Amino acid sequence: MSNRIFLPLVIALALAVPFFTANTYFHHLMVLWMLFSLLALSLNVIIGYIGELSFGHAAFFGIGAYTAAIVGMNFGLAGIPGLLLAAVMAGLFGFVIGYVSLRIVGPQFAILTLGFGSIIYTITNYWVDLTRGPMGISNIQPLGLWGEGGVALTGARGYYYLTLFLVIAFAYACHALLNSRTGRAFIATRENAPLAASLGIDVFRIKLLGFVVATAVAGVAGAVYAHYLTVITPDVMSLQYVAALIIMVIVGGRGTIAGPIIGALIYVVLLELLRALGPLRLVIFAALLTASVIFLPGGIVSLWRRLTGEETKPREAAE
Amino acid sequence: MNHGRARCSARPSPDWGEPVDYIVLAQQIANGLVNGMTYVLIATGLTLVFGVLHIINFAHGEFYMLGAFFTYFAAQLLGLDYISAAVVATLAVAALGILANRLFFWPLRREHEFTILLSSLGLALLLTNGGELLFGADPKYVDSPFADSIVQAGQLVVTQQRVLIFVVGAVILLALNLFIRHSRMGKMMRATAQNPEGAALTGVNIRQVYTVTFVLACGLAALAGALVGPTAMIFPTVGSWAVLKGFIVVILGGLGSIPGALIGGLSLGVIEALAGGYISLGFAQAIGYAIIIIVLLWRPQGLFGTARRT
Amino acid sequence: MNAETILSVAGLTKAFGGLTAVKDVDLELNRGEILGVIGPNGAGKTTFFNVIAGSMPPTAGTVHFKGTDCTGMRADRMARLGMTRTFQITSLFPALSVIENVRAATYRFTKTGWISSILRNGAWRDEEAAVDRAAIEALEFVDLAHRADANAEALSYGEQRRLEIAIAIAAKPDLLLLDEPAAGMNPEEGQRLVAMIRGIRDTGISILLVEHHMRVVMGVCDRVAVIDHGEKIADGKPADVVNNPDVIRVYLGREAVNA
Repeated sequence: MSNRIFLPLVIALALAVPFFTANTYFHHLMVLWMLFSLLALSLNVIIGYIGELSFGHAAFFGIGAYTAAIVGMNFGLAGIPGLLLAAVMAGLFGFVIGYVSLRIVGPQFAILTLGFGSIIYTITNYWVDLTRGPMGISNIQPLGLWGEGGVALTGARGYYYLTLFLVIAFAYACHALLNSRTGRAFIATRENAPLAASLGIDVFRIKLLGFVVATAVAGVAGAVYAHYLTVITPDVMSLQYVAALIIMVIVGGRGTIAGPIIGALIYVVLLELLRALGPLRLVIFAALLTASVIFLPGGIVSLWRRLTGEETKPREAAE
Repeated sequence: MNHGRARCSARPSPDWGEPVDYIVLAQQIANGLVNGMTYVLIATGLTLVFGVLHIINFAHGEFYMLGAFFTYFAAQLLGLDYISAAVVATLAVAALGILANRLFFWPLRREHEFTILLSSLGLALLLTNGGELLFGADPKYVDSPFADSIVQAGQLVVTQQRVLIFVVGAVILLALNLFIRHSRMGKMMRATAQNPEGAALTGVNIRQVYTVTFVLACGLAALAGALVGPTAMIFPTVGSWAVLKGFIVVILGGLGSIPGALIGGLSLGVIEALAGGYISLGFAQAIGYAIIIIVLLWRPQGLFGTARRT
Repeated sequence: MNAETILSVAGLTKAFGGLTAVKDVDLELNRGEILGVIGPNGAGKTTFFNVIAGSMPPTAGTVHFKGTDCTGMRADRMARLGMTRTFQITSLFPALSVIENVRAATYRFTKTGWISSILRNGAWRDEEAAVDRAAIEALEFVDLAHRADANAEALSYGEQRRLEIAIAIAAKPDLLLLDEPAAGMNPEEGQRLVAMIRGIRDTGISILLVEHHMRVVMGVCDRVAVIDHGEKIADGKPADVVNNPDVIRVYLGREAVNA
């Protein structure tokens, strides 16, 4: 088990990284990487484990962000209660939307989630009294333990450790999932739904469970994002973000844990490196997605497996 | 998200105290039918590709965007008049459909359905962002001699351009219907829609069916763009607006059903116009989505079509 | 219905529009019994099977399993009650390894969820051990333990059919429904299958078998029911059924003509 050595090493490295440099911009990029990792890992539950494509995931990120911002401003709940509320809110929306959409599977499901995402985006833009419309909400207070006053998280380093903790916790939960009865039901449903049903698995409920967990986690990521950047606009729910999240999961490697984290890293790094190129970088992302889908359906992670000559046990959706 | 309404006819404000003003109502409905015809043209291509090839083309809206921009550039750079520019643009985008099929769809036809959906998402992003790069992000107007002249019928007022949208749309749909029903290629397309393997065994050239279907679908989308261009601002991200409208119509009418696209598109146009006129603009934007949710709760396969269920 | 009856079908009818595929069939299956349902192609066997297995609701009639009315019940609830099935066309989790295929089948008798696996508590550890045991036992039973780490799609056709049986028995059902398990098998594989089915029964699982391979049915079944044009025309010991003049006429006769 090389993982026994490898994994603690990676975690130790991740903990030490902020001390290599005092460059706060670098810390900022690390926070973004971790936030996107959390989001990509949550979307991976839908794409990689229950085997459905969701084109509406950014909306749940947005719901979490707006929930945290609004309850933070109106009730002074900027701490852990706000994060929990964001998770509950996003998960609740996930439940309702999943309950309606998961009756349909395949590409139609993808379109439905796109439609729901667009509804939420549109409402956020037009419900000015609640969301301040396209201008967004600014001056969101930093994350405290229990809200205003007391210890508040400021500076990128603090947020980095918080998001790192969330990523490690959720990655571990995903790892545990795959070795559990629930996880086996996820994978069975993804691979062959009629056979899964014949073994006693309630396919609809299992998919709904995965969808709700994924959306709730996206909500937490959104809440942290809102407190960290202190500004949010409806654009966090736009199609660009939907596409970005899908690119991270697919390019990194769906159905794996390392894949989405690597995908998020590639996204953040390329976004930085190609900043000078303007709109062209999005063309490059699109090309990356297309090339990955066509030539490397297992994502970057499968490439590594191929190189190390390890026998491939594809966890990705069967092609 | 406001594309398609920017230069619409005046929208009378609601007047709840008075009895319903039938002129205003009729005007709303007329506007709605014209917008609806655009939706129909967009959705028909989408539903055709799904019905015949079982592909959901996420990039479909980008061909609408290209249709509008090509019309603009054909007029600006080649000095063509509006009608010629629209025809050139439609044909050029239809030809691009051949290329898109050869690169993004045909090679993936045996892959998992998600592969093709994702590759079409990649194509959509490529075209949107490539469009922004080439055409610039600032909005443009397509000039048309019909945009500022009006047609009056009783007290109804509609611009010539909007009449043109409706008439051309109706004629094209009729022609498409005849083509699919009676031509040899149309029969091959219907055979492929029902059973691709069986069709291939009986000598249908599947490759040709793919090409023709994409040419038709992209041409229809481009035509919609060329027609709508003069009534609204165009910008490179308009494709995602178009594909979203297309998806709503197609879900409403049922994926793969052309009559469904016709009825779904016209109804969506009228409902949006009424909601926008009598309730609020924001509501008009969201109502399409609200309707599909209700329809899907009631009939998950859409009003006319079928969808797989869990 | 007496205590020994595990499955009881009464007046079962299934019509598709004007076509009645299954017509007023009564059938009882006793605990520990192997019951074969045979009939010529198109006789309604598959429809009969699918209605019992919960794939489609019947037009009329009832199905009772272990005394519970489960007419028209969804397949997954049926499975949780203790009835699992195999499919006519090979149905596996092709991208997963053989052992993972079988482990996925233990769903119905396991309980611990995601939270336990995160906490790695005792209940989870015990259950994972039980899952592993059940999976290996099932693989050993069908003689596939040596292929445990191979991908299911890499197996030969015969191995895949055996893996399907391993999946069905790893679920530890009370009643196993087999849908044409011998389809596409050569005589040698058929013999092996007969031995395997007897072995499954010996572990206490009752079996309902739909099949048109006569040799398999006659070799393994305690009792045989014959369906023709959707109606049951005979029900009894294999030796009696083969001598039933009706059966000879509609089934064996037609087969002889076809052959």
